[in-house]
Formats: sequence, C-alpha cells, structure tokens
Amino acid sequence: MIPVWVKGLVHDYVTRDEEGNKAEVKRALDHVDLNVEEGQFIAVLGANGSGKSTLAKHINALLLPTDGQVLTCDMDTADDRYLWEIRKSAGMVFQNPDNQIVASVVEEDVGFGPENLGVPTEEIVSRVRDCLAAVGMSKYGENSPNHLSGGQKQRVAIAGILAMEPKCILMDEPTAMLDPIGRREVLETVHRLNREKGITVILITHYMEEVIDADRIFVMSAGKVAMQGTPREIFTRSEELRELRLEVPQAAELAHELAKRGIPMPPAVLSAEEFAEAYKSAVSGKTTAKLTESPKSGASLEESRQDCPENNTGLSENGSKEPLLSLRDVRYVYGTGTAYETVAVDGVTLDLFPGEYVGLIGHTGSGKSTLIQMMNGLERATSGTVSYQGEDIFRDGYDRRALRSSVGLVFQYPDHQLFESTVLADVSFGPKNQGLSEEEIRERAEWALRLVGVSEDRWQSSPLELSGGQKRRVAIAGVLAMKPKILILDEPTAGLDPAGRDEILGEIDRIRRETGMTVVLVSHRMEDVARFADRLMVMDDGHLVYAEPPREVFKHREKLTSIGLEVPQVTRIMQMLAADGIPCRSDAITVAEALEELCAAEAAVD
Amino acid sequence: MLRDITIGQYYPTKSCIHRLDPRTKIVGTMLYIVSLFLFRSFSGFLVVGTAFAGILILSHVPFRYMLRGLKPILMILAFTVLCNFFLTDGEILWKWKFLKITKEGLQRGAFMGIRLVLLIFGTSLMTYTTTPNQLTDGLEKLLSPLKVIHFSAHEMAMMMSIALRFIPILTEEADRIRKAQMARGADMESGGVIRRAKAMVPVLIPLIVSAFRRAFDLAMAMEARCYHGGKGRTKMKPLRYGLRDLFGYLYLACYLATVILLRVWQKI
Repeated sequence: MIPVWVKGLVHDYVTRDEEGNKAEVKRALDHVDLNVEEGQFIAVLGANGSGKSTLAKHINALLLPTDGQVLTCDMDTADDRYLWEIRKSAGMVFQNPDNQIVASVVEEDVGFGPENLGVPTEEIVSRVRDCLAAVGMSKYGENSPNHLSGGQKQRVAIAGILAMEPKCILMDEPTAMLDPIGRREVLETVHRLNREKGITVILITHYMEEVIDADRIFVMSAGKVAMQGTPREIFTRSEELRELRLEVPQAAELAHELAKRGIPMPPAVLSAEEFAEAYKSAVSGKTTAKLTESPKSGASLEESRQDCPENNTGLSENGSKEPLLSLRDVRYVYGTGTAYETVAVDGVTLDLFPGEYVGLIGHTGSGKSTLIQMMNGLERATSGTVSYQGEDIFRDGYDRRALRSSVGLVFQYPDHQLFESTVLADVSFGPKNQGLSEEEIRERAEWALRLVGVSEDRWQSSPLELSGGQKRRVAIAGVLAMKPKILILDEPTAGLDPAGRDEILGEIDRIRRETGMTVVLVSHRMEDVARFADRLMVMDDGHLVYAEPPREVFKHREKLTSIGLEVPQVTRIMQMLAADGIPCRSDAITVAEALEELCAAEAAVD
Repeated sequence: MLRDITIGQYYPTKSCIHRLDPRTKIVGTMLYIVSLFLFRSFSGFLVVGTAFAGILILSHVPFRYMLRGLKPILMILAFTVLCNFFLTDGEILWKWKFLKITKEGLQRGAFMGIRLVLLIFGTSLMTYTTTPNQLTDGLEKLLSPLKVIHFSAHEMAMMMSIALRFIPILTEEADRIRKAQMARGADMESGGVIRRAKAMVPVLIPLIVSAFRRAFDLAMAMEARCYHGGKGRTKMKPLRYGLRDLFGYLYLACYLATVILLRVWQKI
C-alpha cells in the first residue's frame, strides 16, 4: 500500500468576478510529483505561499486536482466513491488549535470522528480512551478544551484523528501558533506515534528545527518541488534554502561556513551535539590546510560587526539618562477572592531608557502579556507603580488614552486591529484618535507606511487582502503613525517564514535607529532577540528573573532550560566546546561571532 | 479567565434531578408552565408551588439561587404588578387625584405577580440542573421525529452546541480586539449613544471577520473528520432513560392528573 502517490499535480485557484467569469487564475501547484512510503516520517518545507498547504489538502481530498492525479492509500481522490474512506485513512491536523475542536468536552471531541463513521457506542468509548492515552492526555478527558494550553489542544486534535484509525496523519503547520513547549509536546507525540504504531506522518512546516528527524524532506517553492532528500542532504544546501526564503539550523550553517574556511567539517550537521563532536575531531585531527580568508567571509565579518555594534554598550550609554518608563514592584492579580485567584505579575521592577532595544522573553503564562499591557495603562496594576516620564500613570486624572500615543503597543495578531476599507485609512486610525488635523493625519500615515516598507500601490487595497507579512507591516505602521516614544511589539514574527522573520526584525531595528524609539520586543525565540537586543528581560511565573545584556543572560543556561527557555543553538555549541577545553569564548550569540571564535580557536590549537 | 464563565447558570452538584435525562426535565418544565397558566385561582398556585418545592428540595439547589433568577426580571415584575393595581376597575380602596387602587386590582396584581415568579422559578431550576449541552442533546432527541417534515433536529443541535462552545472564545477575542484598538487611542467610554455605537465598529469588524474565518476553518476540520450530516451517525454518549426517569415521568403523570381533576371538578 502506497500512502501517498502524486503525479503531475496541478492546482489553480480561480477567482471569479461578479458575472462569474474568470477574473484571476493563480497556479498554486505546478506539476508536482511526490511519493511517500508506508511508515515514513515526511516533512514538506516551504515559505509562505509555496503551495505546501495546498498540497496537503489534496491528499485528503479537501481539494481536487485541476490536472494530474493523487492516490491516497491507493484510492484516487478524484473518485468520490472513495471520499470518506480517503478522509478516514488520511487524517488532518490543522494549524489553529481552537478552530478544529468541535465539542465542549475533550473526550466528546475525540469521539467526533468515530461518531461520524458510525462506530458503535462502546467501541467509540474504548477508542477514545486509548487515543487519549496515546497522546498523553488521559487525565483531561472530562475537561473543557478552553482550559487547555495550545500544545494540549493540538494533542487532543491528534487523538481525534487517531480515533478514526488512519494509516496516515497529515499535519498542516500544527505548531505555528504554539510556544516552544507546546511545539515540543506535539512533535514528540507525533514521532512516537510514527515509531510505535507505524503511522505514516506528513508534516508541513517552515520551522527547520522540526524536520531534522524526518526520513525524507520535500522543499516546495512556487508550486514546485524544488529540492528533495534526507535531512542531511538538504541541510548542506544552505544557500539554496536561503534563496527559497528558508534557513538551516544554526549548527548546520556554522558547520557549512567553517568548511568553506577550510576546516574539515562533515557535509551536514544536524544538532549542536553533532557539531561539537565534529569540530573537536576536526581540530584534533590537525588539518594541514591553511586557513584561507575568502573575500565572501571577509564581507560577512563586516556585516556582522554592523549588525551587533551596541550589544555591550547599551546599558552604560543609557545609564546616565533618565528612564522613560519605570515599573516599581508591580503586581497584577486577577480573580481576587474567587477560586481562580492568580498572580500574573509578581513584584516586577524595571526601567526602560530612551533609544534602547529590550527583549522580553518568557514562556506562555509567564506574565509577559500582562506586563506589557500595564506599560500603556490597558491593564491596571493591582499594586506598585508604573511611571512614564516620572508621572504615575494610574493616579487619578492621568490621561491614559494620551499615554497610548507615546507608549505604542502592537498586538500579536494583525487581524485583531485591521478593520478599515483601505490600508491608508486603517493606518490613519491612530493619528485620528489623537485629534490631529486632516493634513497631519495623512502625512503621518504616509510616513509610517513608508517606514515599514509598504509600497504606495498597496495603500488603497483592503488590508484584509494582504499577505501575512504585509498585514503585520500595516499593523505596525498603524501604531508608528502615532509617533510613540516607546514601541512594544508582541511576538511580531509569529507565523512568518524564516525570510519574513528576518525582514521584519531587520526593519524594526532600522526603524529604531532612524527614529530613536525605545523598542520592546516580546518573543519566545531566543535567536530573534539575541541579534538586536541591548538587554534581555526574562520572565518566569510572574517574576523578572534577569534584566541583562543577552551575553550575560545566556550564561545561565541551566536556569533558562529549567524555566522552559533555551539559549540560541550557536551559544549552546560554544558553551559545550568551551567546557570541553577548546580555547574559545563561550558567549557567542550569532553564527558570525561563533565563526570567528572557532576559526581563531582552530588556529590556536595548531 | 473569561473562559471560566459558564453560559446559563448551571449549578454543579450531584442530585437525582441533575442526573435525570434532559428530556424528562424538558417535558417536565413544559408541563409545569402549561399548568401554571391553566389555574385560575390562588389555590391552584398552591398545588403548583408544592409540586415545585418538592423538586427543588431534591435538586439540592439553594433557594437563594431561585431568588437570584428573579433579578433580571424585577423591573417587568414590578411593572406588571403595579399596572394591575392601578388600572383595574372595581371596588376602590384608595384614591389620590387620578390614581386609584381597587380590590380587584390588588387581586389581579398579586395573581399575575405570583404566576410570573413561579414561572421564573421553574425555568431557572431547569437551567440550574441541566448543562447547555445536555439541553441541546435532549432537544435533538425530542425533536428528531420532525425529520418527516424535513426539519433536521441534528443540524440544529450541532449549530447550538458549536455556538455554545465558541461563545467564550469569541468573548475573549472581542476583549483582545478591544484592547488592540484602545492601544491605538480608540475611545470606547465617552460620548453619547451614537458616538459609542460608532466606536464599536473597529471591534465588530475584526470580530466578524474572525468569526467567519473560524467557521470556515471549523467546517474544513469537520469535513476532514468525515462529518456529513446526521445520517449514519452514532453517538458516543447517547441519551438513555434510566429508572429515575421512570419515577420522574410517573411523578409528572400524577401531577398532570391532579391538575386536570382539580381544574375540571373544583374549578380552581
């Protein structure tokens, strides 16, 4: 039995105008050929818009081919006699945890699939019990899904698919809306099911770290399969991947760069541990080839210096200035007096200085969302003071609405704030609320849109028609148009592909340098904040655990791991090597820095 | 946190009333309401009240929760009672300028008032002892014979239960949207009715767009799990009558008999 067999698959999305004529034809899949063997763990990688999601939906016949053929478990998807059998054999887990749970009780939702298949009641009950156990959610059978974390909800969704006894599980970006802990839970569960029950798994994602254990990877771009192979084969081709708007994990990239400089590293390195071993043997093997400084690497040295010039000077530079925003012993308690009383923020004290770049890191539930909402007065502190430019923002009569023009907060999902009929009108909402003149409003909106890089030809489009990355830019412009002194961004890279992520982060830093704004970036991706932040503030369980430059914070690796966070892969590598006696600094926080350190160490060992 | 708010006012406790099949309770409540409107005198209310009191005691729901159920309709209650006091003709007991209170008015007002109170008590008790999902299941089973006139009770029940599931999710989302717009200086508090209604637009539009997107996603997920309507579908937790439902129906039968007898013979 061949789980998935795709030949010459073409899919066109046709948009029709009011008369029903074809207005626009967009080719999402362009003659795709793909085979999957039973029991394999397959990953389909691709940037946003590459067609990977469309491909997944063909496999369980949610979409039908414009041309070509798809056979799922030896059944033709175009033959509607097999429709329900196909969907039973190839179950699908979707991206949004909430939007695929139908029932209000966990075990009833897991039973939804078998109910549809007409399975007798007693068997449904036993299947549900077994499937919840298989995903590790047995204790939550009688709970409401609303009380579960993202990772738990996705595991319930997986259980719901398992209950239909599929041969193959399709997962369409199942971790895109989860934090690292949730992501790990879901992937561990799915790998275990693949190993122990032999269920074929097809994972669609753009997170490179998730695919290193796959049997085979297909990389999609513009509707075609651009690359295919084992993880090792794919990860050597880092330049190609970068062109496809993807990236390799830092370990692989570092190995690749070292190899270019003449140090004999194996062609593909998949993890930090592998890297450490490979480097140590490469160095002790005493290579005879001299280090060659290729012009390319020289250029990247320059770039890296420009990228992180202020990492160590941030604090001392600002130490002489007055803090712009101060929090003193701030606490936030909700549900006081009820059974659900929870302390979200527990005695946080911090200062924000003009022009600095602060990263705020913490897992879901650490209190960071509540904390930033207190910074612009959206939520009121239960106790403690929040002062902006020396004034207590919670005192009687303080205009908190005006404060929000100075302390701008961009929420995580742009769809939560885009509402106007045109992009320009939406970005004008902020300045309009400030009571500025028509002309000033227009000026501000145009300035903000230019600053984030949204071209003029999009200004009259509906904001809802834009791509994910563009929507995010418009959302940020909407807050920038108020010309705030502090810009707080809540997980601005969520859902973006690697290239999109780099673009947004680069732009935010550029905006900060051009305008002198203080930027607070909330994230759970250490690599994001390591590159640009002057200081990192780490939250855990409502407490501020660290408020130091990234290099200092990453030295506390054990503590970070214990609270559910990780240091960048590259830092981990350096720490491991330094611990094993290699003469290198252990605090590199970007690939470029590590590269220099390791080249120098290699030369020193010679 | 908002997700902990339960819809309706289910009072979670173990009692034989809670454990009754929802169909029994729905039928019982309807019978109760009908009987309330059949009686024409205060003594009739005594019968209804006693029957109700028995069920209330068995349900372990504290009486103060019954009173809580009256809060939303306090205004209507007062309005009804007072209207009847002042606007009924008859033997005048008190008069001041054009306002008068008659003996008939007092009787009528009290009658209407007590009927309304008993009505609220009965329906509240049902929602206190039955979860919204149990209610949709019960309605689905009771109305399933209507498939002969092409009314799909299953689809109605599915719609209702999905709506119930998403209410807390959309409520939380509305709150987040509101905050996102407030972060851009939106003013939700000040101004007159028109102004504040206009201020809702930046919250309503993203919310509606989101609701549509969720509906689309959910439909796809349901199809992916082989949902194709009610035909051929089995149930994981089918409603099954138990011994206590037999007792429940017997109780209702006796009650019905009593009501009819009293009404026909004693003309109360």
